[in-house]
Amino acid sequence: MGLTSIIFALFSIIVIVIYFITPKRFKWMVLLISSIFFLFYDNFSLYTIIQALVVLLSSYIFGLLIDKYKTTKKGNLFFLLGIGIILCLLLYLKYTNLFLTTLNHFCNLFNINYTFNLVYRNSLIGISYYSLIMISYLVDIKRGTCKAQKNIFKCMLFMSYFPILNSGPFIRYNDTKNDLYEGHKFNYYSFCSGLLRICFGFVKIMVISQRFAVIVDTIYGNLSSYSGIYILIAVLLFTLQLYSNFSGSIDIIMGISEIIGIKLPENFTSPLLSKTITEFWRNWHITLGAWLKDYIFYPLLKSNFMQSLNVRCKKIFGKKIGKKIPLYLSMFIMWILIGIWHGGAYTFIIGTGLLQFIYIFLEDILQPVALKINNKLKINTNSFIYRLYQNIRTYLLFSFSMIFFRASSVSNAIQIIKSIFKNHVTTGNKLFDLASKGGMLEFLIFIIAIFLVFIIEVLEKKGNVREKILKQNIVVRWFIIYAILFLIIIFGCYGPGYDPATFIYRQF
Amino acid sequence: MENKEIYERLNNVFRDVFDDESITVNENTTSDDIEDWDSLEHINLVVAVEQEFGMKFNMNEVTTMKNVGEMVDIIKSRI
Repeated sequence: MGLTSIIFALFSIIVIVIYFITPKRFKWMVLLISSIFFLFYDNFSLYTIIQALVVLLSSYIFGLLIDKYKTTKKGNLFFLLGIGIILCLLLYLKYTNLFLTTLNHFCNLFNINYTFNLVYRNSLIGISYYSLIMISYLVDIKRGTCKAQKNIFKCMLFMSYFPILNSGPFIRYNDTKNDLYEGHKFNYYSFCSGLLRICFGFVKIMVISQRFAVIVDTIYGNLSSYSGIYILIAVLLFTLQLYSNFSGSIDIIMGISEIIGIKLPENFTSPLLSKTITEFWRNWHITLGAWLKDYIFYPLLKSNFMQSLNVRCKKIFGKKIGKKIPLYLSMFIMWILIGIWHGGAYTFIIGTGLLQFIYIFLEDILQPVALKINNKLKINTNSFIYRLYQNIRTYLLFSFSMIFFRASSVSNAIQIIKSIFKNHVTTGNKLFDLASKGGMLEFLIFIIAIFLVFIIEVLEKKGNVREKILKQNIVVRWFIIYAILFLIIIFGCYGPGYDPATFIYRQF
Repeated sequence: MENKEIYERLNNVFRDVFDDESITVNENTTSDDIEDWDSLEHINLVVAVEQEFGMKFNMNEVTTMKNVGEMVDIIKSRI
């Protein structure tokens, strides 16, 4: 059920209507039933039911046991068992092929004449999201941050709350439980605000992202027909396509939740305006970063091993450099895990893991050098031009890493990088034809769409756009909402060639 | 231990961790007030505070402390 499909729109409307006409104490059950329906809508079988039950029962039963035994030996054992089962299932369903590919590489390396066939595992939608969400639930109980949920059905709702199964964001039990379980009354302001956010999401996906997808998919799909600037354009456009798609999905998810009355954490804060990759990742997929920071990075850095490494490194390399070594090591582990989370393939590990680590590592060690150069050349780092240079540099670096994310294999990514530097020839469609499908107006919309991404970024950074619109009088307010709806209907990309169910982050 | 003494010792820890002798913290000081206090330095700071006062923060406290005042409250409850 794609977020921009008619069936999802109908489903959401029905859920919202039933939610608000149901008595307060039963409202959470409406969310539970609709979430179970959504979870199994595309993929209903005994196999997928067992998958969901394993995660639910591990979280529920071990959650209660951890709460009871806390930091005792038994508590630790239940904690390891609960997390172990969820992790093993996730690894089995999502990462078997990564393991087999690695084995095949080793076989190749040692001249062993055997190839493991890759396998297809049928997994439920949102498995990478709900697995990590339930792991955080168990960790929070262990840390004493929250109490275990005694009602298994309420536990199921927390695990499967339908809007977030598609593309996140990651929720935490303590932050969301009250909103999920207490029934909300219909609120007109939340309704308008949520509706507006859904409209923004549709504009980002249907008008912007899908438009770019045509060009990106055509060029990436016919690499032999394109080279030089065409590949470069596809690479640069893919970042815009990915961002519009992902943040548009989040807008729809957050909008639906806002109408229901459930507050979800923000996942983006104008990442395209970031000056460094470090800052970029503070503004991009925020809830994933926060999850990894709280449950992997901090515990790792605070572990006895890292602390003794810290002491040893300080003795050998001095305080300043010494303290950085465990930090970089922890960062490296965390970034590789981020890469693995994005998918069971080396393209993801390099694109969203290794390269991001290298960028952030270089930014950190080169910062004093950059500072010296700027001081010596008397560069005004607060000037608009310098900030623009930083924004463009960050955009280019991120787009480069996304070549791996988008490519079908590492060798394919290398082929793409090489092609950028080849002569600007094409035997495929010219860029104008690609962007315009023959019409000047379509080409103009394509150019406007590019600017629109950045205009939205600037406006969102300056303040809450929806709040400002909703402060207008009723005529202006509804005029804007209708104008956006017409924008989506007239300029949205539909029909053959556009697949509304393709949400880039859904595959995770 | 008096609040004054805790803050004096904390000031030394902060100055040492962030290599800045001009730092003086109070109960309202947050990571926004100290330029280098980001998520990377946060753990170094937490560990340095633990060593200074001979106590341990649990992981929940490490991730939820909002300002130095909250840090001092935890220190006082442990020593």
